[in-house]
Amino acid sequence: MRKFESVATASRPIPLSFILLAAVGVHLPLLLMQLPLKSYDTNFHIFFASHYVHHWFNPWNAKWFAGFSQTTYPPLPQQWVAIVSWVLGLNMAYMAVQFAAILLLVVGVYRFSMLWVSPRAASFAALASVLLSSECFLVYSAGQLSTTAAAPIYLNALPYFYDWIRYGKWRSFLKAVVLFTAAAAAHHATLIFGSMLFALPVIVLALMDRKDDENSSASALVMRTVMIVLLVGAAIAVVLLPFWIGLIRYPITQTPIPHPSRANYILSPQWGVNYFIVPYGALILALPFIILRGAKVVRLRPLLLGFWVTFMIGLGGTTPVARVLLGRAFEVLTFERFSYWATLLALPILGLLVAELVDRFRMRAIVPLTLLASLSCALAVAWSTFRPADAANFKVDSVAQWLNRDGHDNYRYITLGFGNKLSRLAIMTDASSVDGESNSSRMLPELTRYGGAALTSAKYFAKPGLDSLRAMLAHSDRYGLKWVIVRDPYYEPLLYFAGWRKVDELDDKTITVWGKDGVPPATPMNASQMPPHWQGVMWGTLPFGSSLLAILVVLIPEKRRRGWQDEDPSTTPEDLNSGRMIS
Amino acid sequence: MNKGNLLALVLAAATVVLVAVGTVWPVKAAVFYAGGGKEGLLRPSSTPEEAVENLGTQIRLLAWEKAYESLSNKAEFTEPEFLHDLTGYALSLRTYATLDSFEVQPLHQSATDAEMRMKLRWSTVVGTFQDTRDLRVVKSGDHWAVDWPLVKEQHVPPQVIPVNYLRWDVIYRGAGDDWGSQDVEAPHVRIIDMHPVNRAEGVVVMGELLNEDVVPAFVSVRATLLAKNGSPLASEGSFDMISHTLLPKQVTPFVIRFPDVDLSQVGSIRMQPLSVLVSASADPVIEVQDQKFNPAPGASLTGQLSNQSGQVVNIAHVLSTFYDKNGQLVWVGGQYIDRALQPQTPVAFHIAIPEDLAKKITNQRTVVATYSSGSSL
Repeated sequence: MRKFESVATASRPIPLSFILLAAVGVHLPLLLMQLPLKSYDTNFHIFFASHYVHHWFNPWNAKWFAGFSQTTYPPLPQQWVAIVSWVLGLNMAYMAVQFAAILLLVVGVYRFSMLWVSPRAASFAALASVLLSSECFLVYSAGQLSTTAAAPIYLNALPYFYDWIRYGKWRSFLKAVVLFTAAAAAHHATLIFGSMLFALPVIVLALMDRKDDENSSASALVMRTVMIVLLVGAAIAVVLLPFWIGLIRYPITQTPIPHPSRANYILSPQWGVNYFIVPYGALILALPFIILRGAKVVRLRPLLLGFWVTFMIGLGGTTPVARVLLGRAFEVLTFERFSYWATLLALPILGLLVAELVDRFRMRAIVPLTLLASLSCALAVAWSTFRPADAANFKVDSVAQWLNRDGHDNYRYITLGFGNKLSRLAIMTDASSVDGESNSSRMLPELTRYGGAALTSAKYFAKPGLDSLRAMLAHSDRYGLKWVIVRDPYYEPLLYFAGWRKVDELDDKTITVWGKDGVPPATPMNASQMPPHWQGVMWGTLPFGSSLLAILVVLIPEKRRRGWQDEDPSTTPEDLNSGRMIS
Repeated sequence: MNKGNLLALVLAAATVVLVAVGTVWPVKAAVFYAGGGKEGLLRPSSTPEEAVENLGTQIRLLAWEKAYESLSNKAEFTEPEFLHDLTGYALSLRTYATLDSFEVQPLHQSATDAEMRMKLRWSTVVGTFQDTRDLRVVKSGDHWAVDWPLVKEQHVPPQVIPVNYLRWDVIYRGAGDDWGSQDVEAPHVRIIDMHPVNRAEGVVVMGELLNEDVVPAFVSVRATLLAKNGSPLASEGSFDMISHTLLPKQVTPFVIRFPDVDLSQVGSIRMQPLSVLVSASADPVIEVQDQKFNPAPGASLTGQLSNQSGQVVNIAHVLSTFYDKNGQLVWVGGQYIDRALQPQTPVAFHIAIPEDLAKKITNQRTVVATYSSGSSL
């Protein structure tokens, strides 16, 4: 009895303000150090944002692929970076938006977890999200701003979604619709694949939780679900209309590009470390408990199944699950984001484990748990140093200056051996390239036919990448491609035998510029893919507007939080309370 | 057992089973990252084919140590020697080549040894090349191991080679000069032969270009196919099927390919030779030795390249022009040499010729373009 009382005393949740403060303490210094700039995709997002800075209502970007439309990628995080950059500059604006996404994740995990577990367990789940290694991996190593911005918005939308389908609260309906739409405007893959994995367990939970005296018959729940799905679908269709038009006119038919997240992590253990050990970290130790507890508590079973399916997909080619469920999309998607979503789905159950351990063992649990979480987080943050996106960090200022002077930008260029500095250079130069980092935006046949990604990294894609590079060089006259800027001597023999000559050397001869004579100046291309003005206006208005609307609508006060508290006896906190288990 | 425990057990068992299935029968993408096979993890070398395939997989994964350790004759050479045999002793196309695929073909087998032919297709920055090795595979206990036929490096005795070849330097207007903005007249070049042929893959335009001038020229050729009504059908350049640097009075063959175009669609061809004055040197001189035309089947031109200079040529590109009995151009073929040309050390070349054209060929001429790393502007 005494033990039960002590547990009751300790069962207060950690204040959300304290958890947010922890997020500030962990991530703000890392972001102020601009660590994500070393990641794979950060420069890509900043490049997109830099275009919005200058051409908010014109998504046509002539700097890559001889001209492409930015409507091929949902714009919300990049547009926010563009807005904030007016005050902070592009780099720090990126960090600010990423920081906001991290704080949103804390709130989102807390609110999402409250659907499943007690407030105390939910608060531990939210605290765990601060040190979540999959989040750190995506932020600091992968640089996936869109994924890490969209998921928290979805998590924040789900409790409203639950409230609507269970209780029919119109206020929740409005908030859910607006938040889902804003999340879709942030990332398309999260919309198409992630939203299902998050929403289905919540729908099942609402069906399980329903009570006949609450005007929540099964048919009413289904009707409300259909209604909100239709409305959200319509809203997303309108907000991202230029994206859908582009997708329908130019479906993704390019040859799949290999990605190591599709490897079998046992046969290729180096990728297992990269895509399993690092993103999951110490959470791996909790997997048996997550399975056991998730299966034992009836209310947690939908969440467990959602987690398990996402977890299996996140294993990439380690199991046949992803290939079977996703079909051809398996060859297009990358799977680190599925691991990220799996860890988010596991957090409520993990919060339960942590709450139980802390209540039972106090400091003997707090110290090792904190150490494990911190080490996992540290490993994921440090991973961009152990396995950097680029072997060397170098500046591209001299290259940008060279391209911007003496009419060099009358011609197109490509870089070789620049890695993710390709985007950084594109931000700084006025010249146009036939290369680029946005694989889904590519239309030039030399890029889509072979199965290589960016030409600047052609050698890493072996024969397909080099075939693509040779095809592009062979058609240099067609694209006004006169300059090849080389930072990797590997490519020099090809340029030499293909008729290019060294014309300049930059940065202590670490970068060489090769030119080809007789190439005509670049002319505007791909005019048929250029979105009309009305699409540009939509693109500049609706996605960003959806986020503003979401902020305003979320500020409408709630009457009362509903969730696990109102459930039947089988789902009351006592059932999930470690004190009862101990006693 | 209650439902919860049962569900947990089912999920755990399903996870194990699915991981096992994914590992024993990996999906295509997983096979690719595992080196095109299962890296010997689940596949012991219980047959000669498996032994050679495992070796190929290890080479593809750049697992040199494992590959070396698996050899039956590893006592005859060191691991670095084995590595150099595959990647070259000096900087060459082999150095950064990646194994794209390999093929194993049994030649002979007994209870204790076997002979296998291994065709390794390497991918390089200038294209693919094939390296064929005939391997002896021997049985050792319950498994088979490959006897690797090491190609040892040939050493040239220390010597002094005087260099007295011609060299042309160009003084430009200033450091700010840009390529293509020269204020001197371009060297005079002329197409002395041009011959379009229809092939299965499309139209191929071949020819020869002469530098008529007394200064070196950097050349390329562009061709535009015009339809019978005069409208352009396609425009392509010679790319790497030409020797770009031409010394005075030198001739280079060229090939321009137009995939997916039929010669019957073509009314005329507009040729655009381009030349620019450049610095050049006659050094290094590459001598073509022992040329031999091998008629069909398997028509080819074989021979050896000998580097007469004292510096290493990292990559050589051999271009051969084939003529009929009337001296008319029949075909142009080329091959990149995958090993560096060490001074005074002959290296073999082999240029395949289409079977249907081989019977017309009575004569040939070969030129060699060379690349040495670290060349300045």
